[in-house]
Amino acid sequence: MAATTRVTAAPARLNLSVSAIRVIGAVVILGIWQLLALSGLFFRDVVPPLQNIAGGLIKLLGSGAFYANLAVTGFELILALAIGGIAGLVVGLLLGSRALLSDAYESWLSYLGPTPKIILFPVMIMLFGVDSGSKIAMGAISCFFPIAISVAAGMRGVDPTLRRVGRSLQANSWQMFFKIELPAMAAPLVNGVRLGFGVAVIGTLLAETKLSNQGIGFMIINAYTRFDMPQMYALLIVTITFAAVVNAFAERIAKRFGGAGSGRKP
Amino acid sequence: MIAERDIATSVAPGAKPAPSGPPPLTVENVTKRFGEGPTALTAVDSVSFTLDAGEFVSVIGPSGCGKSTLFHVIGGLSDVTQGIVRVENETINGPHPAVGIVFQEESTFPWRNVIDNVAFPLELRGVSRSERHAAASHYIDMVGLHGFEKRLPSELSGGMRQRVSIARTLAAKPRILLMDEPFAALDEQTRLLLGDKVLQIQQQLKQTTLLITHSITEAVQLSDRILIMSYRPGRIKRIVNVDLPRPRTSDVVSSPEFGAIVADIWADLREEASRGLQESERGQG
Repeated sequence: MAATTRVTAAPARLNLSVSAIRVIGAVVILGIWQLLALSGLFFRDVVPPLQNIAGGLIKLLGSGAFYANLAVTGFELILALAIGGIAGLVVGLLLGSRALLSDAYESWLSYLGPTPKIILFPVMIMLFGVDSGSKIAMGAISCFFPIAISVAAGMRGVDPTLRRVGRSLQANSWQMFFKIELPAMAAPLVNGVRLGFGVAVIGTLLAETKLSNQGIGFMIINAYTRFDMPQMYALLIVTITFAAVVNAFAERIAKRFGGAGSGRKP
Repeated sequence: MIAERDIATSVAPGAKPAPSGPPPLTVENVTKRFGEGPTALTAVDSVSFTLDAGEFVSVIGPSGCGKSTLFHVIGGLSDVTQGIVRVENETINGPHPAVGIVFQEESTFPWRNVIDNVAFPLELRGVSRSERHAAASHYIDMVGLHGFEKRLPSELSGGMRQRVSIARTLAAKPRILLMDEPFAALDEQTRLLLGDKVLQIQQQLKQTTLLITHSITEAVQLSDRILIMSYRPGRIKRIVNVDLPRPRTSDVVSSPEFGAIVADIWADLREEASRGLQESERGQG
């Protein structure tokens, strides 16, 4: 009895201290920020006091322009993920199931994957124009690589015994893919989409900051140009929060699939 | 004499007609070679045998005798170099729908719970959910996993997962059950108990079964006939009839008749196994 209570109490206390440490960390960072802001060491608004940032945040969230730009960026991101994701899925499946193609091309993917895609931006502007088209293209190119690489690895990682089970039960290729291969590679697939989403945000926002007249990236660079630091920081907070929430959400999904895919006891 | 000696120098094809209808499984002069030229390895050499309906036959041999290769060939998962495998007089060319396979490796789908794993073959055939769940429950009960329907494989022990695989294969209603060392990864006690389960199922379904194993006790406990394979190239060295009375349970392992058959088989296998051991040691040296 006593043992049970101790066992259950220990993790609870641990959780509490983790959150406590987090709160302390946040308070310390904000405190240092505020001290720096009040110290006058920096030029005017470079480090604005917290209340100014809070004001900027309230003003931003109350303005219609913000939501219009958010809608533009959101639209670009969704299309970028759809295009780059589907292309990555198809290429990844081909590479993962055909050893010859993988031997021939997969090294290209892994070499091109980490190179900065922003250098392609001028080409994208010429091809797709200065509006959303070029931003979607940047996002799509960015997320294509991690998704294709994870899908190829995931497809190769499918346990051959599971495929043999399908063959011995006369599964057709459609059933083999949707009932065996796809669920077996769910964890790397979700992980690839998560990584892809991250780089798609980078690609799209970076493109918006370079040449654009709409979108969150444009708003950030515009606030910077006008030296409206409270608004710029407000935008950064909103963007970081958004990315963090999406990532946390995707990680939960990935964990769920990962738990099912790798939860085999030895 | 408990074990009838019968030196099997490739039984002439079609020499023994089955009592009723075509024999479920006929293996005729099957040879499987890997590679070409002087480095070619003959894994299985001119193996011939026939399975009668309802018969439980084991193939036993030392590691490297080609018994797993033979399993893959009969399962249609691997081509033959020479010879023919016939299922109910139909020459196979890939996995045959009448043959149900239980693999040695983990083969449950980790993302499906027990009932959906077992219902999988019926799902492939487009059987409705309620119907296939009813059928799956029947086989889950048969392998003794009642109450575990909603569990994921990761929540089960290795022996339980292997029983899920057996139930899944049975749910496809195969006319021939082909098992490749299904209990190899399990401890001796669990193996004996699962052997009981297999005996019960055999009793219930009169399932024609071919079991590949390296365990002599398992083979004697379960089989009507045992094919002893030689080490490289894999040939059928001898066929032993097991005349122990049925129904059997794992209690049979303590009977003197059981011991006599095991000793008889071991005498043959020891020779092959030590040859295999010597060769693998030479290969490493």
